[in-house]
Amino acid sequence: MRIKKFLVLSSLIILVLTLSLAFTKGALGHYPLPLPGVRLLASWYLFTTLNPQYPVFTAMSPEAVTAIVWDYRGLDTLFETAVFFLAIVGALALMRGISLKSALNNASNRVGDGGLSLICKTAARLLTPLIIVVSASIALHGHLTPGGGFQGGSAAAVAPLLVLVIFSVYFLLSKGVSEKPMLILRTVGLVGIYLTALAAVLIGLFTGLNAYVFQNQPKPDAPLGLPAQISGALISGSLLFFNVFEYLAVAGGFTLVFILLSIPEEVVKSFIGGETHE
Amino acid sequence: MIELDTLTYLFMALAGVVSLIATYLAVLENDLIRAVIFSALQSTVYAILFYLLMAPDIALVYIPVAVGLYPAVVLFLIKKTERSEGDLGGAGGGSE
Amino acid sequence: MSELNTFLFNILLFSLFFNVGISLYGIFARPSLIKKIIALTIFSDTANVLAIAVGYRGWPSPSQPPIPPVITTTEPSIDDLTWFARQAVDPLPQALVLTAIVIGLAVTLFLVFLTLQVYRLYGTTDVRRVARLRG
Repeated sequence: MRIKKFLVLSSLIILVLTLSLAFTKGALGHYPLPLPGVRLLASWYLFTTLNPQYPVFTAMSPEAVTAIVWDYRGLDTLFETAVFFLAIVGALALMRGISLKSALNNASNRVGDGGLSLICKTAARLLTPLIIVVSASIALHGHLTPGGGFQGGSAAAVAPLLVLVIFSVYFLLSKGVSEKPMLILRTVGLVGIYLTALAAVLIGLFTGLNAYVFQNQPKPDAPLGLPAQISGALISGSLLFFNVFEYLAVAGGFTLVFILLSIPEEVVKSFIGGETHE
Repeated sequence: MIELDTLTYLFMALAGVVSLIATYLAVLENDLIRAVIFSALQSTVYAILFYLLMAPDIALVYIPVAVGLYPAVVLFLIKKTERSEGDLGGAGGGSE
Repeated sequence: MSELNTFLFNILLFSLFFNVGISLYGIFARPSLIKKIIALTIFSDTANVLAIAVGYRGWPSPSQPPIPPVITTTEPSIDDLTWFARQAVDPLPQALVLTAIVIGLAVTLFLVFLTLQVYRLYGTTDVRRVARLRG
């Protein structure tokens, strides 16, 4: 079995090397890979991402990726966030009615003990605040340096998972990180995203000026726009708000799902069994 | 003397071959925990690849997601269900 | 020398293509639902790396690598921007992959919950055994 695996693997690698050699020697014509240039659209994005000389096109952010995610292709990201919302809602629907509140009362003496060794617990106590701080920094500087709401949110979700694995789900619940606060955090994030998307339109309604959904910088027929700078500090209009709210939504949503995933099976069984008896 | 660009492409090619080996072992492994560990190895190689391909944003989001969260979630799932892929009716996928 | 570079980059691309093939085999042919989830994550990650590799650009010169799509000054001149647009890699695939990874994790979590529910109801994660059950 082991020899057969080895043979299959080495023949796969030899096949990869042979195909690469054939294509390098011109099996489908000669071309340099990777191509020496990028597409015209990409050069345009790179040229206008922080370009005050073209105020109509610019996103006023030195980070081209965040500018594309939340400005040039903002609607894409909005609907991606909708998919994220629906996936979390699906997971919640499968676990509906199951709560750890009653189990927590029975197991209040279990909070301290259990989990991994003292070394792991001490390291986790030191690391968890650091992870939260670093993830917040990634999210808040998302419009200036590599990073953003998605990156920061998924980095922040590592911290509760670490606590779940090293301590227990009861320890996390006793610290106040339970389903309901996380649900509220995620809802705040999502509502913030939609409000930021509509911010220019809402201002336009009150001032009677023309404005678009997902507008960041002023456009020729829509003079409204969010400020690119506040007292000299570059905030890139709506990008900072989008990053912060996406951070809250992603971190809250993932933490919520991890808490649900780590509920012990006997607790879940008691709830499911109760449903079928009725 | 080896040039800097050739060295970078050499690392990319090595990462590609290592990810091929890790993927093969992960898919054809009967013990699911070992499969998850091979999958995490493949994810680590991909994270290096994102760094080499000049995508720091993707590396930042990929390291927590694919090296931290995916294996942890799947290990939770394995702990709650069953560990081996099980042989039923002469199966085992790749053994025929 | 550039032919050697092309050869090495081709090795990367073909390894990724073979990864797509192997992980598709894992999704279709392996019996365990958990193994299907692992193979699905490998498949989506490989698709993401391929998208990023499409956006990569060749080195402008053997000593000057392409730069990430991030401007390092907050008040660039037109010359800076022209230089930047000639050196940086394509930011569009990176923006698309960025959301795809996080949404992929959320969808995978949903699949994990579905698998858990299948195990609770049927007592197995083997699709052949689930198919033999009635009702």
